[in-house]
Amino acid sequence: MSYEPKLVAFLCNWCSYTGADLAGTSRTKYSESVRIVRVMCSGRIDPTFVLKAFREGADGVLISGCHPGDCHYHEGNYKALRRYHLLTPYLVQMGIEPERIRLEWVSASEGNRFAQIVDEMTATLRTMGPSKVQATMANYA
Amino acid sequence: MSRRLDPTLPARLREMGLMDNSKCFNCGHCTAVCQLTEEGFAYPRQDIRMLQMGLGDALTERVEPWLCYYCGDCTKSCPRDANPAEQMMALRRYLTAAYDWTGLAWKFYTSKAWEIGVLLGLALIVVGLFVVPHLLHPGQIQWEPLDGGVAVSSFAAVSWVHLGDMVMLGLLSFLLLSNIFRMGRRILGAARVPIPITLYLSEAWHLVTHFATQRRFGKCNDKEAYWVVHLMLMSGYAIMFLLVIVFLSSLQTDVGLNWTTLPGYFATFALLYASAYFLRGRWQKSAEVNRYSTFSDWLFPALLFATSLTGILMHIFRYYLTWPAGTYVMYVIHMAIVVPMLMVEVPFSKWSHLAYRPFAIYFANIRSKALQAAQKTQPGSLGVPPAVSNALEV
Amino acid sequence: MNPQRIGVYVCWCGSNIAKIVDVEKVARVMARIPGVEVSREYKYMCSDPGQELIMKDIKELGLDRVVVASCSPRMHEPTFRKTLKLAGLNPYMLEMANIREHVSWVHENQELATAKAINLTRAAVHRVMVHAPLVQHEVPVNRATMVLGGGITGMTAALRIAGQGRKVYLVERSDELGGRAIGVGRAGPHMNSVAALLDNLTTRVNDSAYIDVLTGTVVGEVSGFVGNFLVRLANGTRELTVGAIVVATGTQPFDAKKLHRSGYGRFPNVVTSTQFEEMAASGRFTTESGKAPRRVAIIHCVGSRDSETHSYCSRTCCMDALRFSNILRDALPDAAIYQAYSDMRAFGRDAEEFYARTAERDVTFLLFDKLLPPTVSEAPAGDPYPLLVTMDEIATGIAIEVPADLVVLMVAREACSDAKDVAKLVSISVDKDGFFIEKHPKLDPAATTTDGIYIAGSCQGPKDIPDCMSQAGATAARVLAAITMGKVKVPATTATVNEDLCVGCQTCISVCPYGAVIYLDKHRVSRVEEVICKGCGTCAAACPAGTISPRHFTDNQVLQQLEGLLAAEEG
Repeated sequence: MSYEPKLVAFLCNWCSYTGADLAGTSRTKYSESVRIVRVMCSGRIDPTFVLKAFREGADGVLISGCHPGDCHYHEGNYKALRRYHLLTPYLVQMGIEPERIRLEWVSASEGNRFAQIVDEMTATLRTMGPSKVQATMANYA
Repeated sequence: MSRRLDPTLPARLREMGLMDNSKCFNCGHCTAVCQLTEEGFAYPRQDIRMLQMGLGDALTERVEPWLCYYCGDCTKSCPRDANPAEQMMALRRYLTAAYDWTGLAWKFYTSKAWEIGVLLGLALIVVGLFVVPHLLHPGQIQWEPLDGGVAVSSFAAVSWVHLGDMVMLGLLSFLLLSNIFRMGRRILGAARVPIPITLYLSEAWHLVTHFATQRRFGKCNDKEAYWVVHLMLMSGYAIMFLLVIVFLSSLQTDVGLNWTTLPGYFATFALLYASAYFLRGRWQKSAEVNRYSTFSDWLFPALLFATSLTGILMHIFRYYLTWPAGTYVMYVIHMAIVVPMLMVEVPFSKWSHLAYRPFAIYFANIRSKALQAAQKTQPGSLGVPPAVSNALEV
Repeated sequence: MNPQRIGVYVCWCGSNIAKIVDVEKVARVMARIPGVEVSREYKYMCSDPGQELIMKDIKELGLDRVVVASCSPRMHEPTFRKTLKLAGLNPYMLEMANIREHVSWVHENQELATAKAINLTRAAVHRVMVHAPLVQHEVPVNRATMVLGGGITGMTAALRIAGQGRKVYLVERSDELGGRAIGVGRAGPHMNSVAALLDNLTTRVNDSAYIDVLTGTVVGEVSGFVGNFLVRLANGTRELTVGAIVVATGTQPFDAKKLHRSGYGRFPNVVTSTQFEEMAASGRFTTESGKAPRRVAIIHCVGSRDSETHSYCSRTCCMDALRFSNILRDALPDAAIYQAYSDMRAFGRDAEEFYARTAERDVTFLLFDKLLPPTVSEAPAGDPYPLLVTMDEIATGIAIEVPADLVVLMVAREACSDAKDVAKLVSISVDKDGFFIEKHPKLDPAATTTDGIYIAGSCQGPKDIPDCMSQAGATAARVLAAITMGKVKVPATTATVNEDLCVGCQTCISVCPYGAVIYLDKHRVSRVEEVICKGCGTCAAACPAGTISPRHFTDNQVLQQLEGLLAAEEG
């Protein structure tokens, strides 16, 4: 079987998860690669979660929350943004290409946008090939 | 250059018969339904807005009020019952007064007393000019009928009457042309570019064709009959003008009917019919144009009708009844109507629109061509409203 | 850890899921996971027989955790939590896998969709293994209310609440009740007397046995949470205990001096709408020279709908400007009255008619593009009028100048300069313009995201008197509904601190958007006020020691879920 990337998406409950639900109720088709984890707020996304996803074999991670100014908890999405900018260079140092992590704002009404982002990211991951995290870890084990 | 608002303008126009002008909220429906409005010459919305705002000075640069022939479509479809057609009519009165440097047009439009007083005064002068010389030198008048006519020349010498014609022609031409000169200076000045002299000649054909045919009238909805009657009036006018000014010696012959008789009959009929037609319309108020006639709208066709009628009566007394006394009296009455009518109406009032309309088209086309020429040499340096570079459809 | 007894229930959702996902295979794979006691598929899990199936298994097989693989938890999580509760299980021992909206409805490849459904369901099984039972608490509610702001809105809200026999503390910063309506003579479009309205309200407020009017009073500090707020007044003399707080602090007029083009502060004959209101109240309209004005220009949108100042519409000035025109026309029959506007917003009942009637009173309306507002300058020497208003009149396309001896600026209404302080005081948020944000613009416009704090009137955005009074009524009803119950439920999914591990760095306090975390000086640890916490979890993501954690979204729960999600595929 051909290589199927594994994309883990952390979605906030109020905007992006609802947006992904909307993609479903609208029957918008997108790649099977994505696996969604629901959190209450994108501000809840601990960098540990992202690291854990890569460690467990994810090829890419998508973080998605409400658009700026629309956060259900006022400003959790801004905190997610700051953590994302701190985390990315750290991942790069660890040998994880920056293209493997992406932060996108998806509102509850943007089902199509969510599907489009997943397809774009899947296409990118497919050209990049599998993440080397697990193989590297095996070497050092 | 910014234009200063004059809050007194609407009030001044109301003195000229403008009705309530507050209802219009400038939706532009009037412009949308107008058959004559076109790219670069859009009305009546713009003109009404300028009127409301008190942009009287800028309005004198516009030709658009003269391009409207009052079909009334705008008024019939106005969602606010703001009567745009009548506002355009009021603007034409305003422009006539604005072009006139003597200030008399303003007086005539705003005061019935002034208009009637001047008409009566001129009538008295005319009567005096006929009566006084005969009182001073009695015995000139031949009271016996001639064979087949009346010796009119014994009462009114052709040479003197002709001289009077010429004096009046000169006076009227001076007044009208000086006002038209002022009109042209305002309209062409709005272009703010030099006007090539050759344009005055190359565009002159507009003047001739529009003066003779008023063919833009035909573009109006349901105005065909109106246009035909207007044409009739114009042709009658032109023929009578030629007969009186150029061929007076043939017209006022004492020896009976001649070659001038038939054209004279046609002209008289045309003037009588047209003036009666306009009077009937104003009376019945069936067409939109006639619903809001003012005193000045009534006066001109009434005088024209009276002129034609007294001319016919004199003709009957002279040739068919061969009654000298009646002929002379009717002659004086005829002259006492026609002279004041022409003096008041031609340069200052209703008649003048027959001249201002073709001149407006003429000036508009000169201005457009001048702007086009200037744009070719200095592209992008223009665009000063309300002057536009589109040529007017003809 | 006790051996877990998990029940897995895979739903067909008719053919909605089963058409794409091999539900039998999903159930089969789940059955092999250690700890899974039973794994079934059923046509409609949410139906009564479906729920009964779960309840029966819980009772007969002694299940302690349940996974339902079906639709979105946003759809049926409350349903299945109730099922668990009915069967005697804690409702939080449930986890759902969304294999409809996120799988069968968005994918077409049956093999890949089934594999994904297996991953999602396994993640749920892994997660539910570390779920803990949670309890929803109730706290008693103090039935008194504090209303902040003694304007028309605040007084109306206070009267409505007091009308139901509930105690109200009406706190007003100035020495007088009435707020911005003081000095306003009449209100359009019906020209009703505002003074009479104010008189009516203040008399009733002062007469009410339930309203404690505290004028000349500023609030110093608010602590506590919904149902139990402690308010310390700034003068320190008094402390109030209230269950709800209504913020009705209104607006302030825009300072036209900030706009040079308005001419305000530079030319004496340029006045603001507030000053004109005073002129109208006195009945004397004069220019600087003491004469009656003959050319009055009223300029709309000074500080409103303007990229330099406020982009929003102040909503009341158009009608005020029309009202001013009528007042001027009554007083000065011969004066020219101009209104320079960019959009006439005459909305609501009778407003458009008022506009039309005003236009018929010889008022000239001049239209400007809001990107190119009018400029007020001094007229050149020799002009009969001291001022010139210049603008591009866009309905004619002509640049015009309006000679004037009185210019009235319709100044914007803006959020009070201390709105941010008030917001901080009661832990609510302000929008980019400083107006307080409601909980939901349509579903809950009188509440805020902080429980127990309500807003009314112009402090939420400029409003006219009828709108202010309507919202005051709505807010009062909202408050009464909350305090009448006498107790309030606190969500169970709040954050909690493991005080044994907390080092007291207070990072959590700095990131909490609700001020729900407090620092216990004595113990040098943070503690979560659970009544205030909304469970967003941003504190947990920030905590360097990993000691603060939102219940039901703990680090461990999410990490377990990830392990299940990414575990190697198996037959």
